[in-house]
Amino acid sequence: MLYHISALALLMPASGLVAQKSVPAKVTADLPAGPMQAKATTACLECHEARVILQQRLSKPVWTKEVDKMTKWGAVVDPADRDALIDYLSTNFSPDKPAYEPQTTAVEKKGSAPKNY
Amino acid sequence: MSTTTKSRREFLKQMSRAALLAGAAPSMLAWALPQGQSVPFPGEDDMLLRSFRFVDLESPVEYFDTWLTPVPHFFVRNHMYEPSELDANDWRLSLGGEVEKPLTLKLTELEKFETHSVVNTLECAGNGRSLHRPQVPGIQWGKGAVGTARFAGPRLRDILQRAGIKPTGKHVMFRGLDEVPGKVPPFIRSIPIEKALDPDTLIATHMNGSPLTKHHGFPGRALVPGWVGAASCKWLTEIKVLDSEFVGNFMNPGYRLPNQPVKPGDTVKPEDTHPVTGLSVKSVIAGPSDGANLKAGKVTVHGAAWAGEADIVRVEISADRGATWSRAKLAHDQSHYAWRLWSYDWKIGKAGEYTIQSRATDSQGHTQPATPVWNPSGYLYNAVDQVKIYVS
Repeated sequence: MLYHISALALLMPASGLVAQKSVPAKVTADLPAGPMQAKATTACLECHEARVILQQRLSKPVWTKEVDKMTKWGAVVDPADRDALIDYLSTNFSPDKPAYEPQTTAVEKKGSAPKNY
Repeated sequence: MSTTTKSRREFLKQMSRAALLAGAAPSMLAWALPQGQSVPFPGEDDMLLRSFRFVDLESPVEYFDTWLTPVPHFFVRNHMYEPSELDANDWRLSLGGEVEKPLTLKLTELEKFETHSVVNTLECAGNGRSLHRPQVPGIQWGKGAVGTARFAGPRLRDILQRAGIKPTGKHVMFRGLDEVPGKVPPFIRSIPIEKALDPDTLIATHMNGSPLTKHHGFPGRALVPGWVGAASCKWLTEIKVLDSEFVGNFMNPGYRLPNQPVKPGDTVKPEDTHPVTGLSVKSVIAGPSDGANLKAGKVTVHGAAWAGEADIVRVEISADRGATWSRAKLAHDQSHYAWRLWSYDWKIGKAGEYTIQSRATDSQGHTQPATPVWNPSGYLYNAVDQVKIYVS
C-alpha cells in the first residue's frame, strides 16, 4: 500500500483536540507500477482516483467492458493501447488477488462521541 | 465476509473480555483504534475510504449501535464531483415540465412550506456489492453503505401541488448540481408520480436536526423514503414533471435489476429489466465484530435490521450455521422506513470457532435469503449476515 507523508496533512485542523499519532496516508492513491502505469494514470485518473480501480477484482471480459464504457465516457485511450490497458488492469486487479483493505478517515476527536442529532 | 480493516480486526481480537462482556459500546472500541494510515477528512470520522475523488465513504458496522446515525458516521455516496460552489443565497430550485405554473424557489421560499420529518434508513443500492461472487464492477461497498437519520423539510407533494400537476404528469425527475467529468452522463433520475406525491417524500433541508452538510446535499435534497439512496438526489436544483420515466444512463441501463434470476456471463436485454426502487429486507451484525476473540460466557449479539417500505417483524440469530434460530429482541425505537436495532444475549458454552448469523423477516413476509441473489451490478445484496468469532 501507498502510505507516505502528504502535504495535505497541513489541511488537518490545527485544534489540539486532534490526536493524530502517526503519519497520515496519502489522500489519493497511485496505480501499480507497470508498462501501462503512466497511460492508465492519464486515462483513468483524470476523472476519478486510483482507489476506485484498486478495490476492483474483475475478470478480463468485465475489465474489457469497463474500459470500453469509460472510453465512451471520455477516458482518453489510444486505440493502439486498448488491449495493453485491459491486460494491465485484469492482471493487477483480477479475482484471485487478495481482498482490498480500505484505509479510514481520521478520527477528529479521539475518545469523544461525535454526535449530530 | 469482513468489511473492516485488518488493523481493526487485529485490534478487536486483542480487546479484553471485560470490555466485551461489560457491553462496552462497539463504537467506543472503534474510537480507540490505532490511527495509523488514516486520511484527514474534516467532518467524516473514522469512515472506510472507498474513494477520495469522488467522495465515497462507508460506515464501519460497529457504528450501527444507535438508532440515528451521527452525521460524521453516515455513509457518503457520490457519482460525480460535489458542487464546487454552493451559496444558500444564490441557490434556486426550479419546478417545470408537466405543470400548470412553473416555479422557481429560493431557499427562504422553500422554508416557508410546512416542514415534515421522516426517520429514514438510507441505503446505497450497491451496499454489499463486494460480497457478491463473482465480484462485479462498481464501488466495492462492504456492509456499511447504509445509515438512519431524521430528515426534515417540505413535502415534495406540497411543492408539486403549488405548481399544479397536469394529468399528463406521470414521473418526477430530479437534477442535482453534481459536476460531471468528461463525457459522463449527468446523474439524473426520476420516480413515479405516486411516490412523489407520498406525504413522506420530502425536499429535505435538515438531517438529524441540523442543516444538511455539503456531503449530504446542502442546501436541499430529495428524500424518497424506503427506496435506494440513488432516488434521493442531492444538491437538488431542478424538478421536472415528465409524462414518462426519464431516459438516461442512471435509469437505464443503470440502477436496473433483471426480471428473472441470471447467471454471471448471461446477456440481459434492457426490456427484461426493471428499475431498482424499494430496499430489501436485511440485517447486519454490528457486534461482536468479525474476527473477535471472546472468552466463554455471555455476549450480546446486536445490530440493525431494515426493510425499505415494509417493517421488520422478526430478527433471528443462529450460532450453528442455520440449524436452529433464536429470536432477537427488537429495540423500542421504531418508525416506518427506519431500521430497528436488535440484540440477543448469547451464552457461549465452550471454546471454539463460531459463525454467528442474523436473519430478518419483514411485514410482507420476506426473509433474508441464505445465499446472495447475484446480479450484474451487484444491487440489493441482502443475504443472511454472518460474523466469525473465536472463543477461548
